[in-house]
Amino acid sequence: MLLKSGGSGAGGSGGVALPELHRRLRWVALAGIGALIFLVARLWQLQVMKGEGYYERTLDQVVKDRYLPSVRGKILDAKGVPLADNRPAFNIYMTPGKPDQPLPAREELARLLGLSTDEIEQVDHRLAVGRKRDPKKPILVLEDQGRDRASLVEQALQRLPGVEVHHEPYRFYPQGDLAAHLVGYMTQMTSDEAERMLTTDTSELVGRYGLEAAWENYLRGKKGIERYAVDARGQRLDEKTAATLIQGDRVTEAVPGANLILTIDLELQKLAEKAIKDARVPAAAVVMVEPKTGKVRALVSRPSFDPNVMTGHLTRQEYEMLRKDPRKPFVDKALRATYAPGSVFKFVTAIAALEDGISPDETHLCQGYYELSGTTFKCNGTHGKQDLIGAIQHSCNIYFWKLAETIGLDRIAEIARQFGFGTPTNLGLNGDGSGRIPTKAWYEQRTKYKIGYATNAATGQGDVEVTVLQMAMAYAALANGGTLHVPQVVERVEASDGRVINSFQPMVARQVATTSDSIDLWRKGMVKVTNEAGGTAYDHGHVDLVQVLGKTGTAEIRTHARKKNEEDERDIENWNPRRSHAWFAGWAPGADPDLVIVVLVEHGGSGGRVAWPIAKQIIEAHYGKQVKPEPQDPLEPTPKKVKP
Amino acid sequence: MRGTGLELPRATVGVSRWRRFRAAVDWPLILTVIALCAVGLLNLYSATRGTRHHAKFDTQVKWMVFGAIGFVVATTIDYRALVRLAWIGLGTAIVLLVVVRLIGEDAHGKGSYRWLNIFGMGIQPSELAKLMMILALAQLFQEGDLSRTPPLVLVAKGLALALPIGLIAIQPDLGSAVLFGLVVITVGFLVMQSVWPMVHLTLGSLLSIPILWETMHDYQKNRILAFLDPSSDPTGNGWHTRQSIFAVGSGKIWGKGYGEGTQNQFDFLPEHWTDFPYSVWAEEWGFVGSVFLLAIFTFLLVWILNVALSARDRMGAVICVGVAALTFWHVVVNIAMVLGLAPVVGVTLPFVSYGGSSLVVFLCAMGFVANVSLRKHGY
Repeated sequence: MLLKSGGSGAGGSGGVALPELHRRLRWVALAGIGALIFLVARLWQLQVMKGEGYYERTLDQVVKDRYLPSVRGKILDAKGVPLADNRPAFNIYMTPGKPDQPLPAREELARLLGLSTDEIEQVDHRLAVGRKRDPKKPILVLEDQGRDRASLVEQALQRLPGVEVHHEPYRFYPQGDLAAHLVGYMTQMTSDEAERMLTTDTSELVGRYGLEAAWENYLRGKKGIERYAVDARGQRLDEKTAATLIQGDRVTEAVPGANLILTIDLELQKLAEKAIKDARVPAAAVVMVEPKTGKVRALVSRPSFDPNVMTGHLTRQEYEMLRKDPRKPFVDKALRATYAPGSVFKFVTAIAALEDGISPDETHLCQGYYELSGTTFKCNGTHGKQDLIGAIQHSCNIYFWKLAETIGLDRIAEIARQFGFGTPTNLGLNGDGSGRIPTKAWYEQRTKYKIGYATNAATGQGDVEVTVLQMAMAYAALANGGTLHVPQVVERVEASDGRVINSFQPMVARQVATTSDSIDLWRKGMVKVTNEAGGTAYDHGHVDLVQVLGKTGTAEIRTHARKKNEEDERDIENWNPRRSHAWFAGWAPGADPDLVIVVLVEHGGSGGRVAWPIAKQIIEAHYGKQVKPEPQDPLEPTPKKVKP
Repeated sequence: MRGTGLELPRATVGVSRWRRFRAAVDWPLILTVIALCAVGLLNLYSATRGTRHHAKFDTQVKWMVFGAIGFVVATTIDYRALVRLAWIGLGTAIVLLVVVRLIGEDAHGKGSYRWLNIFGMGIQPSELAKLMMILALAQLFQEGDLSRTPPLVLVAKGLALALPIGLIAIQPDLGSAVLFGLVVITVGFLVMQSVWPMVHLTLGSLLSIPILWETMHDYQKNRILAFLDPSSDPTGNGWHTRQSIFAVGSGKIWGKGYGEGTQNQFDFLPEHWTDFPYSVWAEEWGFVGSVFLLAIFTFLLVWILNVALSARDRMGAVICVGVAALTFWHVVVNIAMVLGLAPVVGVTLPFVSYGGSSLVVFLCAMGFVANVSLRKHGY
C-alpha cells in the first residue's frame, strides 16, 4: 500500500521525515475519504437518483413552445357576405431576458420606429411583466402594427436581437355595428377558460357574446404548436441545433375554424337598421322570419355597439358609458329583453274565444269606458257596436275584456303557450328569454286572483311579458296556418375548404291545436288593420306594393316599473321611460306570406304611429327592390308612359 | 517495501547522470498532472467552442506552456534553496497584495480588486501568495520543535502568514481567504508535534464568524443566503447554483456526450469555464465521468502524501503536505460549490479551470512535489 510506506530511502535520520504525519495519517485518510464519499454520494443523488428529472428540466430550459394561431371561422350571411372576418395584424414580440441583462434591442426598436413616449412606456411595462413570467419567452410588446412598421422591423432583425415579428390573424367585423347583437364580440379569456381550452396564454380572445360565443367551438379551430430551441438569453438557435434537441415534429400546423353561414339576409338587416335610424327612435328591435321555415332573416336590436371596439380595444370610459346608458345597449332587445305585448297579443284572446265556440259575429258595445268590480277602465276610443273583425281593426279593448270575462285567464294562457309564449324559443343565443304568461295559479301563489288579471292579459297588459322573437315566431305560425317553428339563424357550418360539416333543417316546435277557422278570422281582422280606413295602422300609412297584414300594439308601462334614474335620461332624444312600447306585427305578401316582421319601439308611444311606419319602410324597400328589376305586370306601366 | 511503488536503482555507480535523473523523476505525478491538464483542455474546448470565448482555449494552452516551464524550474532548483527564500517570497506577495489593493483592476465591477496587470497579463497576487505560503510553512515547520525558535520570531512569522489572509479577505475574495486559512490549519494539524494550537486556532476562527459576517459586503452575504436557500432568488444569486445543479443532474449516468451539454453550450452557466468547469464535465460525461475525474484527483493527493512520507527531510515533507492540502481544499470546495453544497466562491478546480494564475501556481506547486520526490534519495 502506498500510504503505509514508511521507509525513506536516503533520509539519513533512519525513520520517516515527518513522524507526526505518519501518526495522523489514518485520520487524514479517514477525513479525506469521508469528504470524497460525501461528494460521490451527492453526485449519485443528483445524477443517478434525480438525473431524469434534471434532464427534463434542462431540456425545458432550452426547448420552448409557441402557439401558431388558428384562423377563426368567418360568419357569413345567406349570400356569403361576411359579418365577421379576419385581417392580418403584425405583432412585435421581444424576449425580455434577465433583469441585469442590457436590452440594446429596446433602444434600437424605439429609434427605428420612432416610438412615442407612451409606446415606450407600454413596451417597458410589458417587458417587465414578461420578465416576471418567463424571461426567455418572447412577449408581445407592440400589438397590431401597420405593414410599414412591420417591414421596417423585419428588415432590421439582424440589429434587433430577441425581436420577432409575427403575422397573426385579427378578428374584424366589416359591417361595424350592423347586427352586432347577433354576431357578438370576443374578449380575453379568463384563466378558467384557458384551462378548459388547454392553453396557457390568457391573452387569447374567446367569443363572449352573440354567435361568437354560442358557436365558439366551431369557429375556434385548433391552434398549432411550434417547438424551438433557445439559449440562456432566449435567442433562437438555428434549425440544425433545434433538430438535435427536439424529438418528433417541431411544427404542428394549426387547423382553421369552420365558417358559419347564416339564414340572415344582410340586405334586409340593413333596411331594418336604416328604418330605425330614419325614424329617430332611441331603442328598438326588429325580427324578420320566413314563416314557412322559421328561418330568421333579420335580427335587429338597437342601440348596439361596434364589435370591433368591443373585441380588444374598448377603453374603460367607453365601457362605462355603454354600461350606464339607460337604453341598455348590451341587452339584446330582440331575444332577451321581455316586454308587455299590448294589442299584438290579442290574437291569443281571439283564438281562445273562437275555439271555445264564441261566435265572431257576436257584438259588444264600446262606450269608451268599462266598469269592472267598481273600477273604470278606458278604451282607446269610443268604438260603438263591435264584432270581432271590427274590434281587431280598431283594436277595441272593451271587446276583448268582455271575451276575457267569458273564457277566463287560464284559457288565454293555454293558447299563449300553444304559440310558444312563456318558454324560450330555443334559438340558443344571448340568453333567449322565456317571458311570462300568468295563470290563475300563478296569481294565487302571490296574491289573490282577480278577474281584472284576465282582462289585463286579454289585451297583452299586466303581467304578460314576451320577447320580440317569440312574437315573430307566433305571427309566423299565424301566417303559415298554425305551425310553430324553432327559429333558425345558422343555415350550415362549412370547413375552411368549403366542405359542409353540418347543415341544419327547419325544425317544428309544435302544430298549434286550433281549427283553421279561428286563424283565418284573425287574419281577416289583420287585413283591415293595414288596408282599410279606421285600421290602427292604415291611418298612419299604407303599402301599395304588396298586401301587408298586420296588427299594432301600444303597451302601457306600469307605474311601478318606472326607473329611478330619470334624471340621466333626459339628454336622450325622444326618450321617455313613461311612454308606452310601440309594437307592430305582421307579414307580406298577404296571400302567400314569405316574410313575417315584428317591430318593437321601446317607449315609442303608439304602435300605429311609431312602429308601423318602420315596418312599412322596410317592406316597401324590400319588395320595391324585388319588383323593380322585373315588373310583375309589364302591361300596366307601358301605356301610362305613352299617354302623356 | 518500497514506498514509491517504483523500482529505483540501488547502485548508482556506473549509471549515467541522465539515466539516474530519468529514473528519479516522478513519472506517475507528471502523468497524473498531464491527464488533469488534458481533461481541462478538453473541457474548455467544449465549453468555449463556437462562442465568442473560443480564444480562451489558445490562451489556456499558452499558460500551460508557461506553467510547464514553471514546473521544470520548481523541480530543478533544490527545494532547500527555495525554502531559504520563502519569507522573502511571501513578503513580495504581501507587497503585491497591498499594491493590488491600491492600483488593481476591478474586473467584475463589484468593488473587488484581485487583478494586477503586469506586462499585459492579468495576475492574481493571491495565487502567488498561496505558493509562497507553502514554502513559508515548510520553513516554519522544518524543525519539529517550535520551542527552539525565539518567541518574537515565531510571532512575526505567524503574522506574516496571517497578513495575506487578511489582505485577501478585504479584496474582498472571501473564498480564497477561507481557503488560505484552511490550508494553514490543515498543514498545522498534520505536521505540528501537538495538535492543540491548531484546535485553538480552529475554534477561534469559528467563533469569529459572527464578527466576519458583520464586516461582509452585501453581495457576499447574499451569496451565502442564496446558498442556504437557492429558491429564494432563482434568477439572481441562486441562479448559478440552480443551473449548475441542473447541469450536473442532467448528465445522468453516462452524460449527454462531449460537446452536447445544453447547459454549457447555450450559456445557462455564465463564466462556466472558470468556476464551474466540473459542472460542464459532469453534464457531458455523467456520473461515470464525474467519479473518474474525482478519482484522478484522489490518486494525485495520495501520490503527493506518499512523496511526503518518503521525503528525505522534514522540510520536503511539509512542502508536500502543503501542496496536498492546497489541492485538496481547492478540489473539495470547488466541487462542493458546483454540487450546491457550498456557497458560490471564486475557488478554481486545479488544472481544469480556465485561468493562467491558478494553472501556473498549481503546476509550480506540483514542481515542488516533483522536486522533493527527485531528491528523496539524495540525488
